[in-house]
Amino acid sequence: MQYLPCGIYHEYYQQDHAWWQTRFVIGKMILLGIFIFYILPFWGGLYWVGVATLTIYTIMGALGVQLLIGYCGQVTLGHAAFIAVGAYTATLLTLQLHLPYLLSMFIGGLVAGLWSVLFGLPSAKVKGFYLIMTSLAAQFVTVDFILTQYVSQIGGRGQAFSLPPGSITIGPLVLDSDLKVYFLGAVLTILLTMGLANLLRSKVGRAWIAIRDNDIAAETMGINIITYKLMAFFVAGFIGGIAGAFWVSTLAALSPEHFQWFWSLWLVGVILIGGVGSIYGTIFGSLFMVLIMEGLKFIIIPLTPVYPALTMKFLFLKEATFGLAICLFLIYEPNGLAYRWWQIKNYFNLWPFSY
Amino acid sequence: MPSDHFGPIMLKVNDVSMFFGKVAALSGVSLDVREGEIHSIIGPNGAGKTVLLNCINGLYHPQKGEISFKEQDITKIKTYHRAELGISRTFQKIELFRGMTVLDNIRLGRHIHLKSGILSGFIYLGKTAKEEIKTREFIEEEIIDLLEIESIRNKTVGMLPYGLQKRVELGRALALNPKLLLLDEPLAGLNLEEVEDMARFILDISQEKRWKVTCILVEHDMGVVMDISDRISVLSFGNKITTGTPSEVQNNAQVIEAYLGEEDLYATRR
Ligand SMILES: Nc1ncnc2c1ncn2[C@@H]1O[C@H](COP(=O)(O)OP(=O)(O)OP(=O)(O)O)[C@@H](O)[C@H]1O
Ligand SMILES: [Mg+2]
Repeated sequence: MQYLPCGIYHEYYQQDHAWWQTRFVIGKMILLGIFIFYILPFWGGLYWVGVATLTIYTIMGALGVQLLIGYCGQVTLGHAAFIAVGAYTATLLTLQLHLPYLLSMFIGGLVAGLWSVLFGLPSAKVKGFYLIMTSLAAQFVTVDFILTQYVSQIGGRGQAFSLPPGSITIGPLVLDSDLKVYFLGAVLTILLTMGLANLLRSKVGRAWIAIRDNDIAAETMGINIITYKLMAFFVAGFIGGIAGAFWVSTLAALSPEHFQWFWSLWLVGVILIGGVGSIYGTIFGSLFMVLIMEGLKFIIIPLTPVYPALTMKFLFLKEATFGLAICLFLIYEPNGLAYRWWQIKNYFNLWPFSY
Repeated sequence: MPSDHFGPIMLKVNDVSMFFGKVAALSGVSLDVREGEIHSIIGPNGAGKTVLLNCINGLYHPQKGEISFKEQDITKIKTYHRAELGISRTFQKIELFRGMTVLDNIRLGRHIHLKSGILSGFIYLGKTAKEEIKTREFIEEEIIDLLEIESIRNKTVGMLPYGLQKRVELGRALALNPKLLLLDEPLAGLNLEEVEDMARFILDISQEKRWKVTCILVEHDMGVVMDISDRISVLSFGNKITTGTPSEVQNNAQVIEAYLGEEDLYATRR
């Protein structure tokens, strides 16, 4: 539930449905748009564009996890598998069949969605722990077995598909600079985020939340639980697939390395820190994790001349920080960053009567 | 009131038995519910009333017997499908979506009437937006007005007092626009004023032209049951003792015996 600023009332039901309900919010959104599409890319420098691109990729990846865990109550620890399926499908279609990149991306999303449904099928029968095992199976079967052993061998390329510069194009536009990739990612992320938020406030999304909260009541109200769970797996897989297909455009070579199990775990960490069951939470969590890791690099790099061992240990430090961050959040901020944000916002909306 | 003035049989429960292990929660229960009536089911604690409702709406599958709804055999049909046919219900132990607002809970009751899918929901503009606004209008005009819950529509359900939660649950069940409504102890735990309101709502739902919903009412409050029921079936230890009008049931020797030790029929809970 959200409070509107004092003195604002709606006269039509339509207004309750508007995305941005007051002029003030519209203003904020315009500023955000200017920041994303003008200030950051043109004034921020390549370093920040890179950081932003990674954040965007994390958001797209985490959206599916958020949908499954946060909105439908289906715990998954193998989402990187579906991101990988999207990436590989899009790459194969682009390199082997010379399909346009955006079309390949879309098909990549569909294939990843269907692949996700396949591993979602057990959710019809099992819950909780057993479902987590299924999602682990998705991870290892897909990435460590099928992609590594078989798909990577297609076209005799060995371990990785190289993506020579210029192989990824949108119409006449060649995606050959970090800036162009960033713009594509920003547009995709905005579309996917808004689309998912829309979905969550319509029939399908409400059914997911109902299944999460009380599956008996949901079924009594006419919700076909199995169908809707599978729909959640499809949409989560689709969004993951698009994320993977997008990530391809940042790479010089695609290999299963990019989709290891730790990435699945990482995405779950993102939503835990950002806030489970919140779209904002997905965004905040991604920002937080990416920035913390950049901060870590920032601290470590000046220290490496003194302690050269740190370079070797960076991966270890990264994982330790990840674990520590999650523990701290679970203890001190169990509702995630999104909840804090909501409190601050309402404080100002209700100000000066915010007691 | 002669029961003849009701319509055709809407729900037929035929020789239904349900066992949990060796315990027979229902043994060979048969009853029929006619269109338009308020059919109450009473009986001591543990008589099998809730189990019977669960069988009717498909949460339990009886080992023996058939249930048909509007002359269609629904014994093997899934719960969600029975909802689509027009069977809705409330629960003895409230089963709301506690984290959602009142409006969203009631919106869920509209599920079977909405058409938006993944793609149209993703885009939202146009079809889905129109559908959502129509849903909102329906809920405001038909449900919120009727149940007098204007002031709490945007509140989170889990934070509401018990009596209001019961009301919201009724609202959600009604939003489905049911033909048959199963009410499992809607008055339990309510205070006197709330009991009167709730009884009035049930009568409205049953009698108002707009609704005309057939109701099966499981309830311990004999005062209300005798007042508003058209017919009453009595269960005891999983057996149906009798079905009849309130006065017939009150004078039935077996019923009085089943309730022996529970003081007078009228004395309960008030
Ligand atoms: N899921 C279950 N598993 C095992 N036994 C059950 C189950 N559900 C009900 N029973 C048993 O079936 C019998 C009937 O229970 P039911 O809940 O239908 O009683 P009731 O008539 O609704 O009573 P009350 O007035 O207390 O609600 C009880 O003996 C109960 O213990
Ligand atoms: Mg009961």
